[in-house]
This record gives sequence, C-alpha cells and structure tokens, in this order.
Amino acid sequence: MQLKKKPIGGKLAAATCSLLGALPSTPVVAQEAGDWDIDTSLLYYGESDGRVTDVSLDASVRRAFDEDRALNFSLTVDSLTGATPNGAVPANTLQTFTGASGNNSYTAQPGELPLDPTFLDTRVALSGGWQQPIGENSRWNVGFSTSHEYDYLHLGVNTRYEHDFNLKNTTAYVGLAFAQDDIEPVGGAPIGLTPMLAERDDDDDDGDDFRGGGDQSKDVIDALIGVTQLLGRRDLIEVSYTYGQSDGYLTDPYKILSVVDPVTGVPVAGPVGGTPYLYLWEHRPDSRTKQTGFVEWRHAFDRDSLALSARYMTDDWGVDSQTVETRYRWNINERSYLEPHLRWYTQSAADFYRTVLFDGDQLPEYASADQRLADFDAYTVGAKYGRRTDYGEFSLRVEYYRQEGDPSPGSAVGDLAGFELLPPLTAYIVQFGYKFRL
Amino acid sequence: MGSPCEVLCETADPRLAKRLGNFARGEARRVDLKYSRYQPGSVVNAMQASHGKRYHVDDETARMLDFGAALWRLSNKAFDLTSGVLRYAWSFDQGKVRSDISRIPELLKRIGWDRVGWQPADIILPEGMEIDFGGIGKEYAVDRVADWAASQTKCPVLINFGGDLRCVGAPPASGAWQVGIESIENFGKATKRIELKSGALATSGDARRHIEIDGKRYGHIFDARTGWPVANAPRSITVAAPTCSQAGSYSTLAMLKGEGAEAFLDAEDARYWCLR
Repeated sequence: MQLKKKPIGGKLAAATCSLLGALPSTPVVAQEAGDWDIDTSLLYYGESDGRVTDVSLDASVRRAFDEDRALNFSLTVDSLTGATPNGAVPANTLQTFTGASGNNSYTAQPGELPLDPTFLDTRVALSGGWQQPIGENSRWNVGFSTSHEYDYLHLGVNTRYEHDFNLKNTTAYVGLAFAQDDIEPVGGAPIGLTPMLAERDDDDDDGDDFRGGGDQSKDVIDALIGVTQLLGRRDLIEVSYTYGQSDGYLTDPYKILSVVDPVTGVPVAGPVGGTPYLYLWEHRPDSRTKQTGFVEWRHAFDRDSLALSARYMTDDWGVDSQTVETRYRWNINERSYLEPHLRWYTQSAADFYRTVLFDGDQLPEYASADQRLADFDAYTVGAKYGRRTDYGEFSLRVEYYRQEGDPSPGSAVGDLAGFELLPPLTAYIVQFGYKFRL
Repeated sequence: MGSPCEVLCETADPRLAKRLGNFARGEARRVDLKYSRYQPGSVVNAMQASHGKRYHVDDETARMLDFGAALWRLSNKAFDLTSGVLRYAWSFDQGKVRSDISRIPELLKRIGWDRVGWQPADIILPEGMEIDFGGIGKEYAVDRVADWAASQTKCPVLINFGGDLRCVGAPPASGAWQVGIESIENFGKATKRIELKSGALATSGDARRHIEIDGKRYGHIFDARTGWPVANAPRSITVAAPTCSQAGSYSTLAMLKGEGAEAFLDAEDARYWCLR
C-alpha cells in the first residue's frame, strides 16, 4: 500500500486532538452497505428404509431500493430419488405392479410394504416479488411463483397488502394467491377406481394414453387475512386466517388401493388384462375447501427470544390437523446462536381414506390409501446453529422427523393383521446455509 | 442543537441507558447554552458585548476558537468563525430564500478571522463582528458524549445529534450500525446505507435548503471570502472520520470547494459519499 500524504489531514487531526484532548485509538471503519442480500442453502432430506431422498439447493436474493421498496427472487432446485408407498398393502405372496408408463413393472416381496421405485424427479422452482410502500403506513406486495417437474407445471400469482395502525404497533394484512397447475402424468391420468392394467410389451408407444385419463389441471385460490400486534416492548402476537379452495384434479395419479377378501385379507385376483392381483387407481373429490387458523406469540428476553405458534386446519375432506411449534433462540455470544426447534403435528384421516377395499363391497365414490390422508401424529426435533463472520452468516440445521399412524387399523382383517400397514416414517434433515450481502 | 438528538445503546442495563441519555442531554444543553447566539447568556454573546475590548475566555472556548482558527487556515480563509453575519444578507425561511445581496460588501467588512485579535485565551473582537460556532459546536458535543460513553461502558453506543454521529463499539448482532443517508429527492428516505463499525459520520448540505440564481444552483454554505454561497457544490456530502469534529470539518471544507469537493476528499484519501 502506498502511503498518501493527506494535504490537510495531519493538521486537522492535530487541531482535533487539541480540541478534544485526545483522539480515539480506533480508526474509522465505515463502508457502504451492499444492496443485495443473498441467502443460499443446501438441504438434505432422507427418509429411513431407503425411501425418499431429497437434495435441495436454494438461492434467494433481495435487492432493497431506498428504504422500503424491494425486489426478491428465489430459485430452488430439488433432486428427489427413492421409493414411495404406492397405496397397496403387504401380502403373503409376491405382488407385481405395473409402472405408470405401462412398459415396466416392479414387485413387492411377501410381507413387504409395496413401494413404487420409479419415483425420481428433478424440480425447479422460481418465485419473485416486489414490495412497494403506499404512503407512510402501507405496503403492497405482488409476486409470482412457478415450478416445473417432468409431469407437473405450477404457475401462481399472489398479492398482499399491509397497513400499520396505532403508531405501527398494529399491522393488518390481507393477501390473495391464485395458482394454476397442469398435471401430465406418465401414461396419462388413470380413470379413478379402475383396475391397474398389466405391463405390456409395446416399445413404439410412448405410453401417454396408457391409462386413458390424459392430462389434467387444477386451480387453487387462497385468501389470507391477519394482524400482528405489539404487546409492550417484549411481546408480539400474530393471528391469521386462511381460506383455500382447490378445484380440478386433486387425485394422485400414481396411487392405488388393494382389493382384498373381507375375511382372509388376501388380495383378490386381477381381471383379464390386469395385474395378477386386483388394484384400483385411487380417486379423490375434485374440490377441496381448507380453512386454517394460526396464532403465534413471540417474546424477547434480555438476550434470547422465544416463538410459540399453533395452527388449526380443517377441510371438507374430513382432514383436521393441529400443529404446535416452538423455537427458542439462544444467543450464545456476540457472534453465534443456537436455536432448538420442536414441532408436533396431528391429523385425522380423510373421509374417503381406506387402507384397503373389500371384495364384494359396493365401490365407494371416492377412495384413497395415500398415507398422507391417514390418521397420524408427527413430531420434529431439531436445532439450528448459526455463526456470523465478517464474510456472512453460516448456519447448520439438523432435524429429526417421525411420523406414526395406527399400524393395524380396524380394516386389518385376516392376513393383514400380521402386517404393519402404516409403518412409522422417520426422516433426517440436514441443512447448511450461508447468508451474505453484496 | 436545533435538531433531534439521540443516543442509541445496546444494553440490558436500564440504569446505564438512563445515565448515557442524561449525560448526552446535559452536554447537548450545556454546549447549546454556552455557544448559541440565540442564548442570551452565551459566550458568543458575551464576546460580542465586549465592544472591541479584550475579553478573556475559558479554556474550552479557547480550544473551540483554536479549532476554528485551524479550519480557517486549512480552508484558505473560506471557513471563518466570523462569517455568521452573512445571515443579514441571506436567510432561509421555511424553504424559501430571501437574499439582500446589496448588503454583502458591507457585511464582508465585518468578516475575517485575521481582523480578530486572538492571543489565547484573550480575544479582541472588533465592534460589529460576531463569532459563530454553528459549524463546529454540534460535532464537538457529539465527540464529548462519545468520549464520555467510551469511559463508562463497553456496550455499543451511537450518539446522533441531528445526523452528525459517532459510535463507540458496534452492535454485535449485525456487526455495524446501519446509518442511512437521506435522499436528495425523497426527504426522510434513505438513499444509501452506511455500515459504521467504528468512528464518526457527518453530513453537510441540506437538500431542503438551496438557492437558485440565474439558473445556477447554490448550497447553503457560504464562502467567507465572497459572502456568497458556494456554486456547484454537491447537494450533500457525508464523510467518515475517527471523530465527528474531523468528519464535520471535512464535509464543510469539501462543500466550500464546490465543483472540486470530490477531488479535495480524494486527495485526503477520505471515505465519503457525495450526492449531486
């Protein structure tokens, strides 16, 4: 470094020293703050028993203009691999299933929960938004979201308006989001509650109409209203209500149900042109209305802070869920913190959830054996450690997730009583984050 | 001080916060009462009332006068403690400028540090001349409070008197104090954010006060040699320096350079932000 002679700097420093008696021993350290906030993370999610593994890379950028206008973008790339339960129940014999395209098949060994191994996907999601102040006390946000997988395209727009009252001690907000999703299942969407067909040897067919239901779509509208209220210097409470309406194709095009003998629990034989045993494609209603109430309380201690929230969701499918979640931020020292996290979740089953269908019963209008619609409890235990450096903030989050349903429900007749129909699911989440400013 | 003054301190000890606040308020009042021409008992009024006779000043006032004299020399006489009388020719009133430029030649005769007899700690202020510490008093008060705070606590403290500020330590969570520079288009909104970890920031120029004569833009800082505001000066200059007195001096002297403000600060190797 070249030493520069400052024309007046030395004399000014001497004059200041005489004025104040002394000069501070520390030099001036000031720099213009960057305009870009960049938040990146790499997440690993792994389910036990070799089920789903997700590696997700996320980058969010936020550019602030003046004080309260801001542009943000977020890009996520997920890579999912592994196998997921296809909805069928275990049996004492080998079970053979047809892959979605119709050109391949997979099996489940006797006593094994059938898993569809063809589950492999890369998802790319992009979202963005603009925040604009309106007058002194209001802000308006507009945003979009889009994501793409090989069989799924999501397009969404959203908007949110916030207004501060009561010397900014109260903020009320309303939001509206609209999404249109196109689903192009491999082999076409199956027709609900029709049998899974047998594998066929048909190389020149791309399989698009193998299952006859073609492409599908759904629309989702969410409306949100909420308020945050400061209660004194240390407490903040937030209450919100969301109304969501989904219309269109809400069925999972890859999930089936086993049809079993109502006494022995043994799978019944498949039809001509079908799989060796009979499986029916699941079928869900084409509309779903969800209502969600949320309340969160945040408290600041002298050094640490605590957040406690509860969420109640109910929908017209008969699924009611409750979530209780808490985070405690322990500021270990000036540069690092540890944030333990606990979450507990419970839900009731959808009205049309069935473990199996019984041979001879009249077919229901709707049926699904998707475990995500079953009655289950789940909890998450984890912690995040963060450390601020001169180059940005690093963080590491490790969490353990466990989900438990009733492994042997009332429908577990005959042979089925000997199997774990809804085995517990455990998963680990490890996330590495790096946040910096440019 | 004629502007909002605040002290920010990150501490869990309310007594410390109160002590800092009390000291800062006391010091701001004391400096204001002692050096404001609007305060009847102030030292500047007493000097003026001496009617050209030798007047003995206290040690603190002597140091302030010495500092002003140094700036007068360093600015090539553009900065002058006696230039306050120019307010009789120029006044800024609720965003409007009233000027009576016919008075400037007469007023210039009442300006000039070289006309003042200054032999520390005795001053002879000729009849009709005035001393105005307006350009240095606020920064001096900030430095006084900062030095005191540094002697009292290790907690991070920021002293901000009307936008001239100095910090002692920085808040650990973000590593720096976040200081906004007011936009020249959007009053009350920050256009740039400065992260201040140590030292002081002072800003010269007030976007709300400027003069336009024959299409030429003038700021509100006067060149004591001409009696006119400086032409083509930046609308706002923020300078970072170890003390608020240095930062304030740099921003004022740079403003007096007009067109050459940036070149002056570059030559000083100063860290600064100019808005034009």
